[in-house]
Amino acid sequence: MRIGLLTDGGYPYATGESRLWCDRLVRGLPQHEFDLFALSRSAHQEDQGWVRLPHHVSRVRTAPLWTPEDGALRGSGEPRLLARLVTGGGVSYGRRDRKRFAAHVKALATAICATEDTGTDPADSAGLFAEGFYGLAELARERGGLHLALRSEATVRILEAASRAPGAGRTVQSATVVDHLAFAAELERVLRPLSLDWYEPESLGAVDLCHAASGGAAAIPGLLAKRFFGVPLLVTEHGVPLRTHYLAAPDASFGAPVRALLAHFHMLLAAEVYRQAALVTAGNTHVRRWQQRCGADPARQRTVYPGMAAERFSAVGEDDDAGGPDTLVRVGRIEPAKDLIALLHAFAEVRRAEPDARLRIFGAPADGDEATTYLAHCRALAAQLFPDEATGAHTEGVSPVTFEEIGGPEVPGLAEAYAAGGVIVLSSVVEGFPISLVESMFCGRATVSTDVGAVVEVIGGTGLVVPPRNPRALADACIALLRDPERRARLGAAARARALELFTVEQNLAAFRGIYLELISHAPVRREADAVDADGEPLLFAAPAEARLLGPWTQPQPAAVGARARSWAAAGAESEGESEGEPGCLCATACGPGDGDA
Amino acid sequence: MRDHPIRPDHGEDPPMPRPAETPSSAAEIPSRAAEIPSRPVEIPARPVETPARAAELPARPERRRPAAPARRGPADPVKSLMHDHRDLCERAVSPLEIAAGLEAHGLTDRTAARYRHRDVFALAEELYARTPARPAGPAVAAPPPPGPDTEARAGWTLLALLPGAACLATAGLLRVTEEVLGGGARAAVTVTGALLACLALRLCLGRGPLRAPEGAGRAGMYACWLLSFAVYGEGLLAQVVSGGPDGLWEAAPAPLLGLTAALAPAAWCAHLFTVRAHRKLTGSRALEEFGAGVRPLLLAAVALFVCALLPLLFLADLGFGGDGMPVAAAALGVLFFLARLLAAHGLPEPGTVALAAACAMEAAAPALVLAGRLPGLDPLARPVHALVAAGGTGAVPALACGAAALGLLVHASAALSRASAHTRA
Repeated sequence: MRIGLLTDGGYPYATGESRLWCDRLVRGLPQHEFDLFALSRSAHQEDQGWVRLPHHVSRVRTAPLWTPEDGALRGSGEPRLLARLVTGGGVSYGRRDRKRFAAHVKALATAICATEDTGTDPADSAGLFAEGFYGLAELARERGGLHLALRSEATVRILEAASRAPGAGRTVQSATVVDHLAFAAELERVLRPLSLDWYEPESLGAVDLCHAASGGAAAIPGLLAKRFFGVPLLVTEHGVPLRTHYLAAPDASFGAPVRALLAHFHMLLAAEVYRQAALVTAGNTHVRRWQQRCGADPARQRTVYPGMAAERFSAVGEDDDAGGPDTLVRVGRIEPAKDLIALLHAFAEVRRAEPDARLRIFGAPADGDEATTYLAHCRALAAQLFPDEATGAHTEGVSPVTFEEIGGPEVPGLAEAYAAGGVIVLSSVVEGFPISLVESMFCGRATVSTDVGAVVEVIGGTGLVVPPRNPRALADACIALLRDPERRARLGAAARARALELFTVEQNLAAFRGIYLELISHAPVRREADAVDADGEPLLFAAPAEARLLGPWTQPQPAAVGARARSWAAAGAESEGESEGEPGCLCATACGPGDGDA
Repeated sequence: MRDHPIRPDHGEDPPMPRPAETPSSAAEIPSRAAEIPSRPVEIPARPVETPARAAELPARPERRRPAAPARRGPADPVKSLMHDHRDLCERAVSPLEIAAGLEAHGLTDRTAARYRHRDVFALAEELYARTPARPAGPAVAAPPPPGPDTEARAGWTLLALLPGAACLATAGLLRVTEEVLGGGARAAVTVTGALLACLALRLCLGRGPLRAPEGAGRAGMYACWLLSFAVYGEGLLAQVVSGGPDGLWEAAPAPLLGLTAALAPAAWCAHLFTVRAHRKLTGSRALEEFGAGVRPLLLAAVALFVCALLPLLFLADLGFGGDGMPVAAAALGVLFFLARLLAAHGLPEPGTVALAAACAMEAAAPALVLAGRLPGLDPLARPVHALVAAGGTGAVPALACGAAALGLLVHASAALSRASAHTRA
């Protein structure tokens, strides 16, 4: 079947965020045809080019969301000269369209201005938001020119009126002219996906399922495809767009009213995406909680863990060698959020109990001056705490703590870095999805980690977890593991088993394969063209009687979506059988590891 | 920023994770794992986690315990947390923003439990509700006013002076060498001077306050036509009205010199208008208020420009031995100024239309006179003849440019009083 993969600043570009994940997904599901719809973030990203695409990517459409310096999006102004003169402010709409535009912007502005502290019913806001949002989308699809209209004086006036209305929030009411102008410009920027030329029957209308690789801007084309063509929408989020917006907001120099308005817009957009999506998958429980907070229905949420390549660690993981018995290893970038200071203090305590212990810290500093300074600081502290030690009076001494970079002759790769240690330590105070923890699980190593981010969820009882910023607890846990090789081996084996079950690329692909088939069987797109033959006569039995039933009819009915759909279903089943070797695996994957929590 | 949350110390709440509890925090994992939706993994290693910890760490608890009661936290732990994250709480526009910020600082649901909240969201809600009223909007919103950029100003002022200087030099050279050089050499000097002036004009309009961010469309073409009419138009009209044309007629380069010299005042007037309007923009709370404040500013800028333009034109006219007030050239100058001001604010079309209208009127005058010579079409030429009789040949361009400039001024006072016209200034 044909999947429309929607990305924002991601996949086909060589410098995208979700590039690896999307690449694995597309390559891992060759039985489906993929259409890529990509939004790019900057000119620099476009210059970097694309990754090599597999042959079953049939179409790639890209669109910039940034405006070049000369304002190409704004139009040259040569045509419609008289029209612009008459209407003023650059709106090229006729009177009826102007009225439509004003009504939709007003609905949108009223919804956005009703921020949380006013006690407005959220359902009202959501209804108004949807009305305005889809109204503008329809207008943009029929008439175009939305970007000009949104920057016009009319928009600013409507925004001002909405912010002075009784339902508006306290912060919003204090907005000045500058704030309204800034917000109108931002609104135009975030609504740019509405003006894309993707919403045609042969473009986004031709796909069977839209898969948005992230929330936010990438999901907007999916929303409109659902609205215009009834294409089901699947949203995958590894981070929360609203949270990202909040954390990125300090960079922007907007006043409080603009930030409040923007935040509420993103909140309403997220709620609309979650409401319309047939299924929302979260990368971990933390993301899932945020999604619920933004209005996602738990019944339509799944957790699908990101898949990671386990093969490069299999040699280490299957080896009987349990690593250096006295060696603690820490792998990862070096930055203040990783709290190496606590690790060094903890290690000082470990040394007091176990004088032979060593600590090897692998990794390079993150980008930026702060991280480099932090590394220098850590080195100084290590030199202060742990003087060089020599075995005898005539040998050269070495420090028990070493800072090493991966790629040298001794440690050529990541796997060797993990293999060097008996216990892997993770001392972060801030962490999202801890990749290095999963890697050490693949290597079958016992771990001690701090309770941050998704650590507890990932480790699931196969390693020790201590509170963050507690060097003593960290030290105690390390000492306990260093003294007990048997327990180390047991924990390592359990960790490897868990990682192989939950965090491999295969489980990720299996989960999405199942989700695709499930969604398409629940909500197949019905097109007029599929129900008639070449002469325009209705085809007999093009849609089975069950398709007209109200309520769920969950049995997969591949025949219901016509001849083209039938071919993909057959192809999917075949490759399923070939790759897995057993015919019954379809059901097994559909309720695989990702959705065990439903 | 690192936060060290103060531990609450009321009664049953454990003051801080004492070492005796460290094993239990590790041992908590199974119960947490059960909460984790993914799957409770049946791992044989789990039951072994808890025992044998105390034996491994014998001497420690006794050593550390006395420290615990000595460190009493305040009665209200949330207050100190609020103090630690004061910036975050004050600039937050919603509880979720505080939640995101707290999480980025490493707070987890388990930390939130220490503040007696179910999760970080609930804790953030309390922080948001308890943060005192945020400082008023404008104080935060107003960006620091950009200091007077003297260097840039000097740059574009110098550029704006260049076209006038080129014209003046050419005119002076021609005057000095009147008897010395032959016709060919004088023509070469004129062409070189014109080229230099054009180049300087291009440079001057490319930056500074007269830069049009979206281009000016076909305005350049119309401007060329209007300038040529200012130089050659009156002579042509005089010959046509008196029954010609018969042979070459005299050029009148004085308006050209005056207008190019007026570029620098034009740039300064536009700059003053932009800066003042911007200041007004940051100060006003409502669109109506802003519009009402900007309209007088525009009129003042135009009046200022006229005040600078008239003496320059007069002097130029005097230099070429002319007489009387060059009304037509003044009207043309105001028309150019308004058209460029609108283009500089991203509205090039009205200016283009006004220039085109002036062109059409000027071209129509000789055409009507010529058409009037045809039998039966005599009435067509009558208004032109009347106009020339009343105000001389200069009345035609004066009327054309004056009407266009007036129309454009009316349009500009509406268009430039919209806030959206000043966003990219």
